[in-house]
Amino acid sequence: MKKRSSCKNPGAHLRVESMRNKRVHFVLLCSLIPFAGCPSAPEAPRYMGAGHSSPQRGGTFVFYHMDDVRSLDPHTAYDELSNIGIKLLFEGLLDYDSEAKLIPALAESLPEVSSAGLRYTFTLRPNLRFHNGRALNAEDVQWSIEKMLSPDTGSPGYNFFSLLEGLDAYRQGKQAHISGIQVLDARRIAFQLTEPDQTFLNAIAMTFAYPVPKENYLAHPNDVSRHPVGTGAFVLESWEPGVRIIFRRNPFYHQQGKPYVDRMVYWLNLSREAAVMRFRNAEIDVLHRFPRADYFFFKQSSTWKPYFKEEPEVNLWGLTMNCELFPFNNRHIRRAVSFAIRRDWWNKAKAYRLHLTGQPVPPGLLGYDENLPTQHRYDLARAKEEMRLAGFPKGIREPVTLLMANNEGSDTFGELIQEDLRAIGIPVDIRWLSFPVWMEETAKRKNAQLFLSGWSQDFPDPSDFLDILFHSRAIHDMNSENKSFYSNPTLDTLLDRARVEVNKEKRRQLYIKAQMILTEDAPWVFIWNDLKPEAWQPYVKNYHPNPVWSEFYRDVWLDLPRKANNSINKDIP
Amino acid sequence: MIRYIFRRIGWSIFVVWLVVSAVFVLMNTLGDPAVAQLGPKAQKVQIDAFRKKHGLNQPLWKRYAQLISRLGRGDLDKSFRTDIPVTQIMEQRLPRTLFLGSLSMSIELCVGVLLGIIAAVFRRRIPDHVVMAFSWITFSVPTFLAALFALNYFAFRLGWFPVGGFGTDTWDHMRHALLPALTLAVLGAATYARVMRNELLETLHTDYVRTARAKGLSYIEVLFRHAVRTAFLPVVAIAGLQFASLASGAIITETLFGWPGMGRLAVESIYTPDYPVLLGTVIVGCVFVQFGNLLSDLALAALDPRVRVTEESA
Repeated sequence: MKKRSSCKNPGAHLRVESMRNKRVHFVLLCSLIPFAGCPSAPEAPRYMGAGHSSPQRGGTFVFYHMDDVRSLDPHTAYDELSNIGIKLLFEGLLDYDSEAKLIPALAESLPEVSSAGLRYTFTLRPNLRFHNGRALNAEDVQWSIEKMLSPDTGSPGYNFFSLLEGLDAYRQGKQAHISGIQVLDARRIAFQLTEPDQTFLNAIAMTFAYPVPKENYLAHPNDVSRHPVGTGAFVLESWEPGVRIIFRRNPFYHQQGKPYVDRMVYWLNLSREAAVMRFRNAEIDVLHRFPRADYFFFKQSSTWKPYFKEEPEVNLWGLTMNCELFPFNNRHIRRAVSFAIRRDWWNKAKAYRLHLTGQPVPPGLLGYDENLPTQHRYDLARAKEEMRLAGFPKGIREPVTLLMANNEGSDTFGELIQEDLRAIGIPVDIRWLSFPVWMEETAKRKNAQLFLSGWSQDFPDPSDFLDILFHSRAIHDMNSENKSFYSNPTLDTLLDRARVEVNKEKRRQLYIKAQMILTEDAPWVFIWNDLKPEAWQPYVKNYHPNPVWSEFYRDVWLDLPRKANNSINKDIP
Repeated sequence: MIRYIFRRIGWSIFVVWLVVSAVFVLMNTLGDPAVAQLGPKAQKVQIDAFRKKHGLNQPLWKRYAQLISRLGRGDLDKSFRTDIPVTQIMEQRLPRTLFLGSLSMSIELCVGVLLGIIAAVFRRRIPDHVVMAFSWITFSVPTFLAALFALNYFAFRLGWFPVGGFGTDTWDHMRHALLPALTLAVLGAATYARVMRNELLETLHTDYVRTARAKGLSYIEVLFRHAVRTAFLPVVAIAGLQFASLASGAIITETLFGWPGMGRLAVESIYTPDYPVLLGTVIVGCVFVQFGNLLSDLALAALDPRVRVTEESA
């Protein structure tokens, strides 16, 4: 029938087709009806605090991470996620306050230091107990540090204790104990160094030096990382790998009345997107590492403003140039590159989530100088002038190879480097590598010309950046820490002097001088420090992002019962 | 039939060995896992200790021989990252993925087949258009977008489901699995609906269906007793492969919903990089692909006598 009618009227099949299309459109439109009344997301916090002004005890604090925890053994764990849990379960002789100053923790006070700066004597607080109820004494501290430094443990902490007297003999099996660790009595212990070191106390405050009970290591010789027993504010209640860890209050904790919360729940493997939604639903109590859109939401929200903080992390990112390879063996070429990087563009490309810098020492550390005259900055005319002084006024014909690791967001940086260096006549070829290969290639002598790299603090001291990244002692043929292979005897002398200098102001001046040498010689282009935004619920009190420990929640208290916020969809300016 | 099954199992073992060997070679071109595990601050002494501990200091052929011998004993080594035996990790992760996969597969099969039948029966009418529109939309939407939308709309804004995660007890696991399962199912159901519709339309125009109608059987009887059964065969073939893919982990969905299953584990092991775990996920995936294929072949044989006869004669 249809065929016949279409033969009579050539336009009929078009009308049928048009009718069908209308029906399809109608159906498509109808399918959108369920989404027409889309409820809006809460603009403001769902709950506010009860209004208590003094710390309250009780409640469960919930936090999360996008990844999984590797280990809860303080001797071997060396990653941020594990340390978040370790900081709840363990405590060291020393710790840091919110200003990154060393404070006593298990130690009664800061140690007595001998006049030559070689001997540190600590006194433990009285009545310290492990989670298992056993009293902690100086022998436990000695056993723990010796166990950590034993070659069988393979702890990354070894690097920080290399100046302990008798360490080599102990590691070679010539001595049963480290002669530089002496137990004076049940509560007193002394450490003897082979030469003065201003960073030794920082090493003692690191998680590697946290005391652990010997019996626990004997009971779990192969999986002690799953059975942590410490002296910290919380005890491990349960750990479901890949899902969550639950901590409960330690009844033996030495600080009276602390911790405030009864339980802490650490959700693992929660995606950033899900974490933001859960946070805005008040299902988790803190938020960090926001997706881009959510970052702007929290940054611009007036209702979240009191519960949002963004600070530069103590790390450094920059463009590393191999000073032993052409063309970066020419100081002027390195300086030209340092003037050619358009930091503002980089920041824009990264949604303004970088803290731009032009010097190696990150903000907050001794020697950082906001007004450092030689700090790196964008100046194309200077860059071209430096190229002329280098003898390449028209640029370099042979492309430079930029090694990039396949990490999140690294493609953008690769393109930005290519673009900026093209402006001064340096063509760049990008070679993408897997992270392990990139690590190997960049740490080999006379191998990698140019690459983007970073460094984050082990402890808040400039030596942790300058000594490792730029001292000629840190140059090795393989696995080199000084990856620019920059060697300058004047800088080495300055850094060695600064490492042992007791006077803080003199030490600061030495590091400023070192910074000036480095910015002028430019083995790196110093570009940025990461910004770390964090938000927390209004009923979470006493949370101050710690400058040393990431996501350190031990001392928070909850202002309960939390009160429902009646104006959650109003972002009141 | 039993001979056929044994032959298929033998073939599957050969394929798994082939894949394991390929992955082993590939892993050893991706750089030193010791350097990657210990990070940029590791000293040579620690790197050497790590290599020794995990046998990475031995020649490649020896490591390969050890790997094959370990696999023969059902030992998948220990994770570089956590030191937990890989089999123990799999014991935890695999049931979660199978749970999510079977839930989503049950939903998508039921919904997809039903929608396909409706679309075929009501061809070129409103229900057909609705089903086809649904199918177009779901085909065009990338998985990550669908997952984000589901999370944002149904979990966050409407509050009908928990916002990602795994839950704490059986009931809670079920609650948490529902939205990721539905997201996977919606995407999968579109495939089944289209295949079922097309097959059914073709079957409904075959001679034997017309004969059955001429003999006086009702339309419903012909549809469900004859046509649907025949049209179901390609759906079974697809379901076998789909099962394999779901069992080895829906990478994007598991990651976005924070479901700690095999897909999420595979991603973690690639980025970490944790080669024993990566190899474990590859082996499990490979075994499930083989198993899914075998299962769908057996199901086809059960549904279609012609398939059975062919295999037996072969």
